[in-house]
Amino acid sequence: MLTIEGLKKSYAGNDILKGISINVNKGDVISIIGPSGSGKTTLLRTITTLEEANGGRITFAGVDNDFQKLNGKEINTIRRNVGFVFQNYNLFNNKTALQNITEGLIVARRVKKNEAENIALKALERVGLTDRKDHYPSQLSGGQQQRVGIARAIALNPEVIFFDEPTSALDPELVGEVLKVMKDLANSGTTMVVVTHQMSFARDVSNRVIFMADGYIVEQGEPRKIFENPSEERTKKFLTDILANV
Amino acid sequence: MSLNTDFMVKVAQTAIQGVPVTLQIVLVALLISLPIGVLFALIRIYRVKGLQRLVQFYVSLVRGTPIIAQILIVYSAFPSLLNMIIGKAAFSINPIYYAYIVFTFNSIATLTEVFRSALQTVDKGQMEAGLMVGMQPRQTFWRIILPQALISALPNIANATLYLIKNSSLAFIMSVKDITAIAKTEAAFNYNFLEAYLVVWVYYLIICYGAEIIFYLFERYFSKYRRPIKNRTGFNWFPFSIKQPKLEQK
Amino acid sequence: MDNIKLIINFLGQLLPAINITLIVSLSSIVLGSLLGLLLAATRLSESIVLRLLAGVYVSVIRATPAIIMIFVVYYGMPMVFNGWFHTNIDGWNRMYFVIIALTVLFSAPVSEIMRSAYESIAKGQMEAGLMVGMTPFQTFYRIILPQAFVVALPNFANSVVNLLKEGALTFTIGVVDMVAKAQMIVANNSGGFAWQTYCALALIYWVISLAIDKGLSLVEKSYQAKRKTIAV
Repeated sequence: MLTIEGLKKSYAGNDILKGISINVNKGDVISIIGPSGSGKTTLLRTITTLEEANGGRITFAGVDNDFQKLNGKEINTIRRNVGFVFQNYNLFNNKTALQNITEGLIVARRVKKNEAENIALKALERVGLTDRKDHYPSQLSGGQQQRVGIARAIALNPEVIFFDEPTSALDPELVGEVLKVMKDLANSGTTMVVVTHQMSFARDVSNRVIFMADGYIVEQGEPRKIFENPSEERTKKFLTDILANV
Repeated sequence: MSLNTDFMVKVAQTAIQGVPVTLQIVLVALLISLPIGVLFALIRIYRVKGLQRLVQFYVSLVRGTPIIAQILIVYSAFPSLLNMIIGKAAFSINPIYYAYIVFTFNSIATLTEVFRSALQTVDKGQMEAGLMVGMQPRQTFWRIILPQALISALPNIANATLYLIKNSSLAFIMSVKDITAIAKTEAAFNYNFLEAYLVVWVYYLIICYGAEIIFYLFERYFSKYRRPIKNRTGFNWFPFSIKQPKLEQK
Repeated sequence: MDNIKLIINFLGQLLPAINITLIVSLSSIVLGSLLGLLLAATRLSESIVLRLLAGVYVSVIRATPAIIMIFVVYYGMPMVFNGWFHTNIDGWNRMYFVIIALTVLFSAPVSEIMRSAYESIAKGQMEAGLMVGMTPFQTFYRIILPQAFVVALPNFANSVVNLLKEGALTFTIGVVDMVAKAQMIVANNSGGFAWQTYCALALIYWVISLAIDKGLSLVEKSYQAKRKTIAV
């Protein structure tokens, strides 16, 4: 459904992504793990056109083109068919929880207002925040904000939702509620690509784990294989280091 | 030492006729310069070729020269300029138009800087979030970025307004009959200058505090989204221009 | 071209009067900073009454037009001195009145700048200093002051530019500064070449403001250079 080939990205002479190829199928829940600075976040941001790639090809939602040759229409198509959950939530500060969700529906999708509100209420119900619909982001906890962020993404019913370290800005006690929502989503068949440091999520929820380091995909496979029997030395070392700290 | 209180009462009564004039200058200048200030700020932020240098030059020039010099230049240059363009005798023009011109020019420069910093305080994640729900950059700007920037600019717009009110006290140099001008004329009869200026001072204090209260109410009304539900901040009786608008900590 | 020649010519005629502007500005900066420091200390003091008084002072000055302050000082002070101290100060150099008025005007924003710079640094740093065994004074002098200085600098420079511009009202009480000089030149030319004269005047002020801004960015750069060696 989504295919990325040879994706490259560099900043000021530093190569961040050195040729990444990924294939996402419908219903996949993919976890991307790896040390910080390995390019995980940049990968999501280049795929979703938040940042321009320096090379590579995307096949997605009828678009089949080199990243650098994407025209405005194709960029719009990509953006309309992905959902994005940000590390810092990035809720619209001047909109209530409900308006955060309806905004994209009404303005970008041209859905009628009351229809949009119905969709938004359903999305809020899925993340368990119906009673907070008229709260502004500043009146919500971090965990609640992130759940609204997820509701905002699912309300648009995208082909795939990208999660950029959705729990790393949260206080530890708030991580659970967000992970639970993500788990429910995964179980309901939503296609998800998740950059995460939550190894429990990667191991228990996803059906594929990608380990990235230094701008390359070092290894990928089923979670059981990656966690219990990694074939690469780097993967082994990363997992030992990170699990030692848990 | 004694003040001539009878005279003060008399000046207070006459000078009040100047209050609408002062307010008129302030309002006209403010209303024209607000949208232009936003426009200029955008030119600076998006580095519009050619124009951005021009705006930068303009802001620096206005910010770096005394308002009195600006008044003198406009007051001496515009009559002949108008004469050239429309051929109308400069004498027939109400001097208040010169005041509008000077103070609008001046406010545009101040407000450009105000909006520039306000627009930059809006997190770039807001634009990204807009794009990721499928909105166009322009839509996101109008619906998400600008409203937030305007509200975070409110304290500094209040400062700019106060600055404008205070500067307008120099309109008398262009023979505009504002508060200061009227008091000055009254005082000249009997050399009761101190009394006259004390009265004028009180008028400016009232106008400035009035403006502050209005802006405070605006801020309260519009920034409901920034307040955590319980913590309400009270009216800040001693605000000062150096305070940057508070940002939400995330 | 003729206009540019005229402006250059007027520049030459105006510049000799710049010393009045400089004397007035520099004295007000020094005195105003001292008064501002005092005010800032008052606003940080324990006494509620003192804090309130200082707060009202700052708030009133913020709403006072410069020209009114200058007039009130100029016309009011001789009356006060005459009535209360039976001293005649009519013979004072008029510049003193402007300096006093500007000092009062300048002290208010400066006190706020100092206070907020202090408050932005003080809390955590003071505790840290005390915890490593420094005295409060040592902590203030060695840790807080240098950091607060960097925080306060841009706003201070901004206030200095404002003071410079307010100082251009010196002429209103009959001191022959650059503005007065410019008006004389215009009068001597029977109102001719007025805008060229005033452009020359504006130009001088602009250059001084630019110089202040430049000085500020140089100081800031030197601080950043020091910092870079540690951070990044």
